[in-house]
Amino acid sequence: MRGGPILRAIGNVQLLSSLLVLPSLTLSLYERDGATFAFTQSFLILLGVGLALYLPTRRANSELRLRDGFLVTSSVWLITSLVLAIPLVLAPPHLSYVQALFEVVSGLTTTGSTVIIGLDHLPRSVLLYRALLQFYGGLGIVVLAVAILPSLRVGGLQLTKGEITGPIKDNKLTPRIRDTAAALWMIYVGLNVACILAYWACGMSFFDALCHGFTTVATSGFSNYDASLGHFDNGVIEVVAIIFMLLGSASFALHFVAWRRGSASVYAADGEFRTLIRIALCLSLVVALELWIRGVYQGFGENFRHAAFQVVSGLTTTGYTTTGFSSWPGMAPALIVLAAFVGGCAGSTAGGIKVIRVQIVAKLAMRELLRLVHPHGRFPVKMNRGMVGDEVINTVAAFVTVFFASMVVSGLAIAATGVDLFTAFAAAASCITNLGPGLGGVALNFRELNDAALLIASLTMLIGRLEVFTVLVLLTPAFWRG
Amino acid sequence: MKIVDDREHNSAARVATALRAIGNVQLIVALTLLPSILLAWWDRDDTAQYFIESFLIMVGLGGALIFMTRGRRAELRLRDGFLITSAVWLIAAALTPLPLILGPPYLSIADAFFEVVSGLTTTGATTIIGIDQLPRSVLFYRQSLHFLGGMGIVVLAVAILPTLRIGGSQLTKGETSGPIKDSKLTPRIQQTAAALWLIYCGLNALCALAYWLAGMSWFDAVTHAFATIATGGFANYDASMAAFDSPLIETIAMVFMLLGGTNFALHFLAWNRGSFTVYGQDPEFRTYLSIVVVCTLIVTFGIYLHSIYGSFGEHLRHSAFHVVSMFTSTGFTTTGFAQWPGFVPAFIMLITFLGACAGSTAGGLKTIRAMIIAKLAWRELMRVIHPRGQFVVKVGNQVISESIIAAVAGFVTVFVGSYVVLSLAVAATGVDIVTAFSIVASCMNNVGPALGVATATVHDLNDLAVWFCSFAMLLGRLEVFTVLVLLMPAFWRD
Repeated sequence: MRGGPILRAIGNVQLLSSLLVLPSLTLSLYERDGATFAFTQSFLILLGVGLALYLPTRRANSELRLRDGFLVTSSVWLITSLVLAIPLVLAPPHLSYVQALFEVVSGLTTTGSTVIIGLDHLPRSVLLYRALLQFYGGLGIVVLAVAILPSLRVGGLQLTKGEITGPIKDNKLTPRIRDTAAALWMIYVGLNVACILAYWACGMSFFDALCHGFTTVATSGFSNYDASLGHFDNGVIEVVAIIFMLLGSASFALHFVAWRRGSASVYAADGEFRTLIRIALCLSLVVALELWIRGVYQGFGENFRHAAFQVVSGLTTTGYTTTGFSSWPGMAPALIVLAAFVGGCAGSTAGGIKVIRVQIVAKLAMRELLRLVHPHGRFPVKMNRGMVGDEVINTVAAFVTVFFASMVVSGLAIAATGVDLFTAFAAAASCITNLGPGLGGVALNFRELNDAALLIASLTMLIGRLEVFTVLVLLTPAFWRG
Repeated sequence: MKIVDDREHNSAARVATALRAIGNVQLIVALTLLPSILLAWWDRDDTAQYFIESFLIMVGLGGALIFMTRGRRAELRLRDGFLITSAVWLIAAALTPLPLILGPPYLSIADAFFEVVSGLTTTGATTIIGIDQLPRSVLFYRQSLHFLGGMGIVVLAVAILPTLRIGGSQLTKGETSGPIKDSKLTPRIQQTAAALWLIYCGLNALCALAYWLAGMSWFDAVTHAFATIATGGFANYDASMAAFDSPLIETIAMVFMLLGGTNFALHFLAWNRGSFTVYGQDPEFRTYLSIVVVCTLIVTFGIYLHSIYGSFGEHLRHSAFHVVSMFTSTGFTTTGFAQWPGFVPAFIMLITFLGACAGSTAGGLKTIRAMIIAKLAWRELMRVIHPRGQFVVKVGNQVISESIIAAVAGFVTVFVGSYVVLSLAVAATGVDIVTAFSIVASCMNNVGPALGVATATVHDLNDLAVWFCSFAMLLGRLEVFTVLVLLMPAFWRD
C-alpha cells in the first residue's frame, strides 16, 4: 500500500465535503434561525480536517492502482461520514454523535432512515443539510457504480461496464474516473433539476421541491416531514416521484447513452431496465390486489395508488412513504421490504442486489431445472444476447450469497444488542439494501434503537452501499500482503 | 410406423411400471398400520377398527394398482425418477391421514394431512395438542411414519437424488453407488437399498436399546428411537424430551441424532471396512461436527450472558441439545428455544438452513452445499484481490468444477426463492410475519419447531396456511427440484 496517493484522494474529498455546509450556513444567516454559529463552527472544523489531510500530501504522486481502489473507496465513505456528522451534533436537532453518525451515513449512502422525530419543526437550514447529504451521496454513488466498481470487478459487475468505460487496458484508476465523472455528474444534476422543477410545478414550495428533488433522484428518501410524502397527499406529486425514482434507479450509463444519442429508445432496448419496469408492475399489481381484497382503502384505484407508490419506493430503495405500509395486513409489508433486495439497475443510485444480478441468478436457476430434464443438453445463460460464462455466474452467485449472509450477520448482531428479532432483521434488511424504513420498531424511524445497534446499522448501510466485497476484502490478510 | 408403435407401447409400459412402483409403496405403507392394529387390540383402546378400515383401503388400492399393471414391465428411465419420487410421496401422504381422521385425535383433513406429511418427511411439526392423552396405538402410528419416512429418505438421498444430479448432489454419490453407466434406475436402487436399510434398522435398534437402558419404557424407547434416527422429532409427550428431564437420555439422543444426520453412504463404508476412520477422513462430516461445536459455543455464550439457567453446565446442556436437534433437523426440544433472549432464537432457526450431511435423513441445504458456497464466496474475495490469479474451489482433495458450483448455486437460489415465496403465501393467509417466515423455514428444512405462535404446534394456524406448510415440507424433502421440474413444460415434452 502506498499511503501518499491514498491520503491525497481522501483529503481531496474532505475539502469538497466541507463545502457542503456552506449552503446551509447561508440559508441560516438569511433566516436568522439560530443555527448560524453551529454551521460556522462546523465549517471551520470540516475545513480544518480537510486541509490537514490534503496539505501534507498534495504533492504526492496521484496515480492510484486498481487495488488501492478498495481502500480509498471504503475509507473515503467512512471518514466523510465521521466528519459530516459534526454539524448535526452542534446544530439542532443536537443529536448524540452516534445518532448523528447514523443520520449522516443514512444520508450519504442514500438510505434515508432517520433518527429524528419532529422533522417538521427543524430549521430549514438543517433540512437543507440533510437533503444535500443525499445529493452528495448520490453523486458519489454514480461515480462509484459506473466508474469504480466495474473496474474492481465486484460481484460480476464487469458485465455492466457498458459503452462509456472502455476495456481495462492497464490498472490505473484515476484517468478513467476523471473521464466519466464529468459527464455523469452533468446527467445527475440535470435529472435533479428536472425533478425539482416538476415537483415545484405540482404545487410544492420551492424549498420542498429542492429538498425532495435531491432525495428522489438519489433514491434516498429523506423528507422534510415526519409523514414523508404522505404530507402532501397529492396524487400528481406521487406520480412525479415514481417517475424520478425509476429514473434514479436506471443505469446512469444508460442515461449517458440516451443523452448522447438524443434518443429514449435505448431504455426500451435495455434488458435490465425492462425487467425493472416489469418487476415494478407485477409487484404493484400483487400488492394492490391484496390490499383490495382486504379492503384496506376505498376502491381499486386508491389501493393501486398506494401499492404502486410503495412498491416503486421499496424496489428502488428510496423509502418514501405515503401511508404507513408497515401496518398493512398480510404479506404486503414483507414483500415491499423484500423487493428492496432486488434493488434498481447496476450503475444507478439504488441499492440492493441489482436487477442484473437477480436476472442472472434467476436464469441460472431455470438453466439448472432444464439441465435436470436434459442431462446432456447445453443451456447457456444469456443477457442482452451475450453469453454469460459459468465463472461470471458463480461470481454473481457468490455476491448474492455474501450479501444475504452480511444481512443475516447484521440482523443477529442487532438482535444481540437487545432489539427484538423482528425489528432487528427488518433494520438489517433496510440498511443493507439502503432502503430506509423497516418494519416493527423501525417502521418509521430508528429513534428507539440503542447506540450499539445504530453503529451496527451504520456499518451495514456502508457495506450494502459499497457492494459488500469492497469492504470485506479489507478484512482478508491477503489484501494487506504484497 | 412400427417404431412409433414401439415407442407408444414402451411409454405405456413405463407408466404401468411407475404405477406398480406406487402400488408397491402403498402396500409397504399399509404394513406400518399392522403394529398399531395389534397394539390397539392389546390395549383394547377402541381404535382398532379405524386402523383396520384404513388398512383395508390402502391394501385394496395398492393391490388394485399392482393387479392392473401385472405383466407389463419396462426399464424406468432416469427422467421417470422425478415423477415417481414425487408421486410416491404424495400418494403415500394422501392415504396415511385416514386413521387420524377416523379415530382419535379426530383431526380435520388439512391437519391430518399436515401431520402425516410431517411424519413421512421426518419434519416433526405437529397439529396435535394433548399428545400425552392419545392411545398408544395412535402414538405408535405417528412414530412409525417417521421410521418409514426415514427409510424412504435414505434411499432417496443416497441412491436416487445423486443419480438425478440434483443441485450438484452427484458429488455425494460416494462409493456405494458406482458410476452411472446407463440411464436405468431400478437395479442400482435395489442393490443399495438392502444394505442401507440394514444399517438404518441397526441404528434404530441400537438407539432404542440405549434409550431403554437409560430408563425409558420399552414403548417410549422404540418410538423415540424411530424419531431420532430419522431426525424426525415427533415425541409421545407435549413437552417433547423435557418429559424425561434426563441428561443421559439427552446425550443419547444427541449422539443418535448426529448419526442420523451423517451420510448413510459413510455408515455403509464404515460397516463394510469395519473401521471408523472413514468418518474422520470425510471433509463433509468433519465440517458438520465443527459447525455443531462452534454453534453450540455461540448459543451457550448467547444465553449464558443473560444467565437464564442455574449453572454454566446447565446452559451448555440446553444449548448443545437444541443446536444438535435443530441442525440435524430433528426438532426435539427440552426447554424450547423460542423464548431465549437476543439473537439466539433466530440464530438457531438459521442454522437449520445449513442442514446436516447429504445422504442422511436430515433436511436443509446440506453441509456439503453450504461448504461449496462458502468456499466460492472466499474464492471470489481472493479473485477481487488478485484479478489474474487462478483459484479453484476444493472439497477435501477434490476440485469442484465450475459447472457443479453453478448447479449448487442454482439449487441454493431455488431453495431460498421457494422459501421466500411460500413464506409470503403463508403471511398472505393472515399469519403474522415472524411466524410465517419461521414456520416455513422449519417446514422446508424438515425441522419442526418454529417461532411466534408456531413454537410447539401449528394448531393455531388457519387451514390454508397449514396446506402451504405441508407443501413446503414435501418440497424441502424432495430437494425442491424434483417437484419443480414437474411444473416445466419441457419435462412433459418428449
